[in-house]
Amino acid sequence: MMHNKIINKKLLSLGDRYRIYVLLVLVFAVMTLFAPHFFNAWNLTSIMKTVAMNGTVAIGFTIILIVGQLDLSIGTIITFAAVIGLGLKEAVGYGVSVPLAIIAGGLIGLINGLLVAKVKINSFIVTLGMLTALQGAIYTITGGNTIAVTDDQAFAISDWLQHQIVPTLTPRVVIAIVLVISFSVFLRRTRTGRNFFMVGGNSKTAWLAGVDSDKYTIVAFVISGVMAAIGGILFAMESAAATLNLGTNSLMYVLSATIIGGTSMAGGKGGVFRSFIAVLTLTTLYNGIVLLGLGNEVQIFISGVILASVIFYEAFVEYRHDKIVGQRTELLKELEIVR
Amino acid sequence: MSELEQKKTDLRSVSQTWFSKKLNVAGIYGIVALFILLGIFLQLLGVINNFMTTSNMLNIVDAVSMLGIVALGLAFVTYSGHFADLSIPTTMALTGIVAVQMLQFGFFAAIVSAFIVGTIIGLINAFAIGKLKVNPVIWTLALNYMTLGVIRVIWANKQIYPDMIASSERAVELFDNIYRLRFFNKIAFPMIMLIVLFFLFHFVMSKSKFGIQLKITGAAKKSAEYSGINVERVIGAAFVISALTATLGGLTITSLSRVGAWYNGAGYDFKAVTAIVIGGMTLAGGRGSIIGVLGGVLVIGLMNNLMTLLGVGTFSQDMIRGIIFIIVVGINAKTLRTMGRDDA
Amino acid sequence: MSERDVDKPAFEMRQVSKVYPGTIAVDKVDFDVFPGEVHALIGENGAGKTTLMSIISGSFDDYTGDIFINGNKVSLRSPAQAKKNGIEMIYQDLSLALPISVAENVLVGRLPRKGIFIDKEKMVSETFDNLSKVGLEHIDPMIPIEDISQHEAQLVEIAKAMGNNPSILVMDEPTSALSQEEVERLFDIIDSLRKMGLAIVYISHHLPEIFKIADRVTVLRDGHRIDTKKINDVTQEELVQMMVGKSVTEFYRHDIFSGEKVRLKVEKLTRYGFFHDVSFHACEGEILGIGGLSGAGRSELARVLVALDKRDKGRIVLDGKEIKSRNMAQALDEGFAYLSENRKTEGLATRLSIRDNILSALVPRLSKNGVYDKEKGDPVLMKLIEELSIYPPDPNREVSNLSGGNQQKVLMAKWIAVEPKVLILDEPTRGVDIGAKVIIHNAIEALAKEGRTIILISSDLPELVSLSHRVMIMRQGHFIKEMQKAECTEESVLLAANGEGV
Repeated sequence: MMHNKIINKKLLSLGDRYRIYVLLVLVFAVMTLFAPHFFNAWNLTSIMKTVAMNGTVAIGFTIILIVGQLDLSIGTIITFAAVIGLGLKEAVGYGVSVPLAIIAGGLIGLINGLLVAKVKINSFIVTLGMLTALQGAIYTITGGNTIAVTDDQAFAISDWLQHQIVPTLTPRVVIAIVLVISFSVFLRRTRTGRNFFMVGGNSKTAWLAGVDSDKYTIVAFVISGVMAAIGGILFAMESAAATLNLGTNSLMYVLSATIIGGTSMAGGKGGVFRSFIAVLTLTTLYNGIVLLGLGNEVQIFISGVILASVIFYEAFVEYRHDKIVGQRTELLKELEIVR
Repeated sequence: MSELEQKKTDLRSVSQTWFSKKLNVAGIYGIVALFILLGIFLQLLGVINNFMTTSNMLNIVDAVSMLGIVALGLAFVTYSGHFADLSIPTTMALTGIVAVQMLQFGFFAAIVSAFIVGTIIGLINAFAIGKLKVNPVIWTLALNYMTLGVIRVIWANKQIYPDMIASSERAVELFDNIYRLRFFNKIAFPMIMLIVLFFLFHFVMSKSKFGIQLKITGAAKKSAEYSGINVERVIGAAFVISALTATLGGLTITSLSRVGAWYNGAGYDFKAVTAIVIGGMTLAGGRGSIIGVLGGVLVIGLMNNLMTLLGVGTFSQDMIRGIIFIIVVGINAKTLRTMGRDDA
Repeated sequence: MSERDVDKPAFEMRQVSKVYPGTIAVDKVDFDVFPGEVHALIGENGAGKTTLMSIISGSFDDYTGDIFINGNKVSLRSPAQAKKNGIEMIYQDLSLALPISVAENVLVGRLPRKGIFIDKEKMVSETFDNLSKVGLEHIDPMIPIEDISQHEAQLVEIAKAMGNNPSILVMDEPTSALSQEEVERLFDIIDSLRKMGLAIVYISHHLPEIFKIADRVTVLRDGHRIDTKKINDVTQEELVQMMVGKSVTEFYRHDIFSGEKVRLKVEKLTRYGFFHDVSFHACEGEILGIGGLSGAGRSELARVLVALDKRDKGRIVLDGKEIKSRNMAQALDEGFAYLSENRKTEGLATRLSIRDNILSALVPRLSKNGVYDKEKGDPVLMKLIEELSIYPPDPNREVSNLSGGNQQKVLMAKWIAVEPKVLILDEPTRGVDIGAKVIIHNAIEALAKEGRTIILISSDLPELVSLSHRVMIMRQGHFIKEMQKAECTEESVLLAANGEGV
């Protein structure tokens, strides 16, 4: 009986770890069975296109959560980068404007990181301030208008970005997957990568081990800024337009996916690949909902419900953990004898 | 020991005296005074007109009274150490929509049902965050989305108008007056609400049993629990208060716009947090005051007013506000740290 | 001895000082430790032990004075520099990252690599090797720290430090969370490390331990080094005298308790997996001691008595009335109070003032119709500050700025203020200096004289034995023995707690 319990515990923790894959398979199967026009190349490609942007952004956001911080500004960085990249195209060309956009994202992340790590302001506040400031900047720069590029080169690049290298995989998707895999391997398999977890798990331990927590926190914010910028600019280049609500939904999208993927808000736990799979799952779900003839409103509602269920589930796990932590197994055995 | 270190020592040994507490509050009103002086200065230079007039001063308060109402309630959540209630925007939207829908049964039915809905949302937050101890930021964000979904499913993306639904002209007029009623032709009803709430909440936070227990809970939740404080209920109450002021805000904004729509209240969560934090309340909980929060609201009002008078565009105002916000908070954090209170 | 004169010390500090804003924590201290030696560092709280240890660990970049390792002058201004010089620390308050795996905690900063990647197999096997040295072979290296018990974590901490193959090992109260068997095992490990030529600094409050394990001992007081002695040349009394600065006579009390009015009766109280079928009674004015090793279930029992945790079975009867409180607030109303062992996280709100803390459990009683009467608490507040000589006697002072001893007095005052019928004290003097200890002990006795029932949980044997009128021994979740005052000695309690002589 005791033995069973241990096995159950192991199974549960495995379940926690792989729940997102199970969820993906489930959503995919249900949609394939019930949603009309779901399983075809065109639809799957369109799913992957959405995944490409939010999946890239989720990389940075996951690392932010791993070091125990929060970045509310990712949505505005996406738009900001798109605006810079496309807005400067006419003047300097993509060759300069795209790197500039990505650098801008990195700089914004750097400012966030410095304020959090060095000035020691809560990241919720810092990135909230950044969100407000960037929102203003975006509208000031654009005057509230969508930026569109219309020259031949822009269209050529847009076309290239839409072509399928292999079925369903466009260049943007490939870039996203390469980034996800690289960061996943980096975080899981290198010492430097593991240090991010240590910083979020217990910054004192990290410091005593000679790991500079401040540096890792700053780098996490820079990565977050750069990833958001890459996600934003590539999306805008593909559509040859930077709309001002480009990143509006991304915060909720990416935050939900990261939490559902099993990354903890408390820091020290999580994974980039799982976040990516979670983005894929959510996107598939939303896509299916639309194909089922249900509106955007149902999609919003369901995403809230899913996030809420995951939060409740995690609260339950925590509760269960608190209840049994410190129990003496020999005393429990005694109980069984009496029974 | 260098002079600098000597100075640090002196600050550290300062106790939480009457004086230092007042100084903290004075900090934010110092900024208020600074902005007023700036306004006077600019007016003297002739850069702006009509700053120092009664009507402009009333305008400033009037413009932020809705934000103030929401911020004063949300302050209880921040004070409890639970950051913020991000479900405020849709709470405002939903209560407004429900009120408009219920106008078909008269004005009072509308108000009562809005408050019932607001209370329910508050209780859901209270249960999830107080009882189940889930992370307040993601939980309220999730609830915000669920509520948004509910609104858009039920009202199918339609906007509803009081004058098309209400049972009588009288009901429409009453509803319109939530925002438009003026006393002595000058003082707006939301401003009255703000002032009443200010005195009431100041009393509740600093003088009531609940307020003291909330302070201890915010400063050290576990110790509070071990002191026999029912922390679940105390935290829950903070979220209910926040939902109720959001309801007031929702009714006011809906009355102002004369339309019930899902986007009413968008952005009010972050705006309110900004005011609270500028007002000197730290996210760590148990520190700050309602007086400070009102100061934060006034600073935002003054800032907006000055920028508008200067002809700064709405969008640039956002940008400047964000930057000033970070600067104020940064200075605040630094000051607290030199005083030996590392909790910003 | 002669060979030591030739040897260079493995670690030496000369005239080292560290200034905090306002105080000099360590003042021109000389300290050295030779290879193959255990050098104990003792002193009251606030004597500068922790600061000295933090200097060795490289936690400060602003100490003054010189530090030598194997005769070479070094600079220890970051933890990384200390590590590079072969210094390893074992901290009292664990420095492990809870959500991270045991393996990564043990091997932090030196995870084995194959190329640029981490070698997982090697990581697991290396961790296993380190864990087996401290008797933790049964732990899966890949589970996170949050899934193992507190005392296992303490052993992981030790395994982590030893795994770095240090030449200088500093231990701060390493036995505080360990059971007797584990302490024995640790001492065996220390002994073998000594034979291997490690230089060990051993910081402890616990004098008998020092006589068991140390070669030399250095006493600190008020940031100064008082003296360094060979352990064989000094007695326990002399050490205490050096630590306190004046001679203290042990405060054994011999009054026999004669009250017989039963106040609290507990029958077959059980929380599954923590303690089973615990029955006892306590009288008015009695101090009932509960002895036992850490992890015996004593604090868990206390938490159930005040309804912080749910009981699974059993009855609690207070003054003839069965108590069924569902939360701490109700238990408080019934007349229970609980001073928990962890003052920083469970006892005090350190960011609030002395006033807020002392009155925190009194808020409902000081309120009428939901309005809190601030002035009403002042008399009791000022009285307690004076009675317990809380320093500084300023009720508006933030608690985080007080010394450990004064913080503990504030915590004690908080629970005296509620005037409980039954006061449960869980390690009421852990980590406080002797001055504060005496004041707290006097307060406990005064409370008993007033007719309150005290349940005293303590691992400090002299305290337990001298204060208690009667001692119950708890072991592995059961009450195994009751001892009257006459048969209580430190030895008999310790033996019983270890399951011997029952």
